[in-house]
Amino acid sequence: MAVLFCIPGPLRAFSGGLQQVEIKTSPATVRDALDALYRECPGIRDRLINEEGQLREHINIFVGDENIRQTGYFSTAVPPGVEISIIPAVSGG
Amino acid sequence: MLGESLGNYRIVSQVGEGGMGKVYRARDEVLQRDVAIKVLSSRTVAAKSSKDFLLEEARAVSALSHPNICTIHQVGEADGGLYIVMELIDGQPLSALIGKEGLPVESVLRYGVQIARALAHSHNRNIVHRDLKSANVMVTPEGLVKVLDFGLARRLRPEDLAESGQTIDKLEATVDSATESTGGLTGTLPYMPPEVLHGQEADHRGDIWALGVVLYEAACGKLPFHGRTAFETTSAILHEPPPALPSWVPGGLWAIVQKCLSKEVAQRYQRAGEVLAALEAVHSASVSAPAAPSAPAGPTTTVMRGVRHVGVKEGDVLLLVGTMKGAFLLHSNAQRSRWDVIGPAFHGNAIYSMAYDAREGRHRMWASTSAFWGTFLRCSDDFGKTWTNPLQGNVKFPEDCGTSLKNIWQVCLGPENNPETMYCGVEPAALFASRDAGETWSLVRGLFDHPHRPRWLPGNGGLALHTILLDPANDQRMYVAISAGGVYRTEDGGGTWQARNRGIRVMFQPDRYPEFGQCVHKMVLHPARPNRLFLQHHWGLYRSDDHADSWQNISNGVPSDFGFAMLMHPRDPDCVYIVPIESDEFRCTPDGRLRVYRTRNAGASWEPLARGLPQKGAYETVLRDAMNTDGLEPAGIYFGTRSGELFGSIDEGKNWKMILSGLPPIVCVKSVVVGEPRSARMAEAAHDERKSSARTKRASTRIKAKRGKR
Repeated sequence: MAVLFCIPGPLRAFSGGLQQVEIKTSPATVRDALDALYRECPGIRDRLINEEGQLREHINIFVGDENIRQTGYFSTAVPPGVEISIIPAVSGG
Repeated sequence: MLGESLGNYRIVSQVGEGGMGKVYRARDEVLQRDVAIKVLSSRTVAAKSSKDFLLEEARAVSALSHPNICTIHQVGEADGGLYIVMELIDGQPLSALIGKEGLPVESVLRYGVQIARALAHSHNRNIVHRDLKSANVMVTPEGLVKVLDFGLARRLRPEDLAESGQTIDKLEATVDSATESTGGLTGTLPYMPPEVLHGQEADHRGDIWALGVVLYEAACGKLPFHGRTAFETTSAILHEPPPALPSWVPGGLWAIVQKCLSKEVAQRYQRAGEVLAALEAVHSASVSAPAAPSAPAGPTTTVMRGVRHVGVKEGDVLLLVGTMKGAFLLHSNAQRSRWDVIGPAFHGNAIYSMAYDAREGRHRMWASTSAFWGTFLRCSDDFGKTWTNPLQGNVKFPEDCGTSLKNIWQVCLGPENNPETMYCGVEPAALFASRDAGETWSLVRGLFDHPHRPRWLPGNGGLALHTILLDPANDQRMYVAISAGGVYRTEDGGGTWQARNRGIRVMFQPDRYPEFGQCVHKMVLHPARPNRLFLQHHWGLYRSDDHADSWQNISNGVPSDFGFAMLMHPRDPDCVYIVPIESDEFRCTPDGRLRVYRTRNAGASWEPLARGLPQKGAYETVLRDAMNTDGLEPAGIYFGTRSGELFGSIDEGKNWKMILSGLPPIVCVKSVVVGEPRSARMAEAAHDERKSSARTKRASTRIKAKRGKR
């Protein structure tokens, strides 16, 4: 079953302006879902992930309401039909 | 059909075959003129829908009278068949003119403007083309564009504008029947907008999408969305952004194409007139654009002049101001008395470095942008009207390095005689080089693999390589400064590097004169005397007269030898400007007085320059890259403060004026003269100096020779 990525404003330049991008490949984990998202929207990858493959410091990814930093990072399971949100963290500067 | 007559028309030859039938050249025996006649094919004539379509086409197009639209003369019926008599166009379809590399940019713009005019005319009459493609655009030998084949055009009645009646099934049926004779729909599919593939009605904004496809195709010779199968093409149209156009395509045109190709209808141009205006603006700005290079394709430069939005002319002065929250561009003429301000670009991004590359006739601005979403190098060929936004990070550590880019502190152009070379200094401390004018970057391994690197320590701002200096007399020699790693020099073009910090005292290590680990804040060099360098250390001002082999303290009489900014005078190699800061804890100007200090004797003494600067309650900091000169005579000197105030002097520092206040904290200031390579004036000075030293040398050789004779 498909999952839905919610794309924040600054990244919509790379999703053809779409606020939501549907992944139809039934990804099992966040990593699978992200890989599918990068295939759809290649500009998004380097905005989320640094050269060491880590999620950028001030970016959070939520599967449903759960922050993947607390649920196994990229190995977090992706239930069918779930919404995955990419949200900049609350931080100063 | 050849030799036969249709009404008053005698068929002379076949000139083409379209989706719905054949096109013939014919002679109008009454009016004695040549015309084109499209005759519905016998297979499709049987279908009433096709007949209706042909009539529809004729009705639609005959309502249009425009120099860029093929004129319909008459619709006829003979032997149960239908034919359309239209203007005969002596020319070639645009699709046949576009080569593998696309057309020259000027042609793309010239044809694009004419297509947009045709669409604007038809849209104003509620007629949507619905099958715009390069094969439907004829170009005469004189360069006149004629848009053809409103074969799928449908008159949009005002009440239709609110309706969305047609489904994808109907559309596909239409396309299938229309393209039956050519065997499929791939000829049109690559031009279809996403909303049509989603089954929605295409309105005039579908034509704007198709215009974007045609412009893209004309600019680079490739379709923006194309797969091996119709499914792949459909998927690309629906989900993928168009691949970036090659670097020779001006940013302004690329921005227009991207806007035309917005997947969301609402984010496209809403009227063809808007595309027309945008294309005309880019067209008028493009004085000369080199033709697309023959293979292998490499980056070239499009010369842009007189961009309207800032009215920039050759010889004007620009200030590129990078702040913690975006970039600002200030523009003035050579008088430098009045500034226009544009910005902020990169809203919310920290802009640590900016540069202007005028080598080889470019007008390219660079900015390093840093935000939550990473750090990217972006450039503009139209004075900031549009900027590149690369899909992938362009400055990246290779995977085996085990580190990631945090910031780009310095963008540095290579020498004038090597106009494709650029460097950038980054955090964590490393040097990257580009050999293709900034298209691609690679890590300079010689420095990254230096055995000292693991023992470099970050300063307050991070472990940054922030200064890059080239020796104009020796293209193998360059210097970098790292905080806190010290000065490193290469003599072999970057292959190997040596620490060059002898004589620079540190306060933060037990060994006061270590080989490396100095916290250099800024270092400058004058091309006219490249053996001499000046350096602002965490504490201490220094000069070297031997290519940085050794350093002498020159903190003679400054109120504080702590500071960040340091600037070389554009002509006088003995003249340097600094802004002393009270201490490394307070980090503000001493006594709340904002004063620039200048030496005109290579550091033997320093004088304050404060006329016009605030001398009370001005607790300011000027950061290391936030002071610059325009190089004019007399030299304009500009600096920005952490409290967002921008000051300038047009008499080499004697008198100062506030140019702008209220900006976000200013990180970098670059001042450039439009059309002049970065260091043209300094290079001239260097040339004069070399000529004069050559004269001295020749004179001394003559003297020696004379002495020898004696």
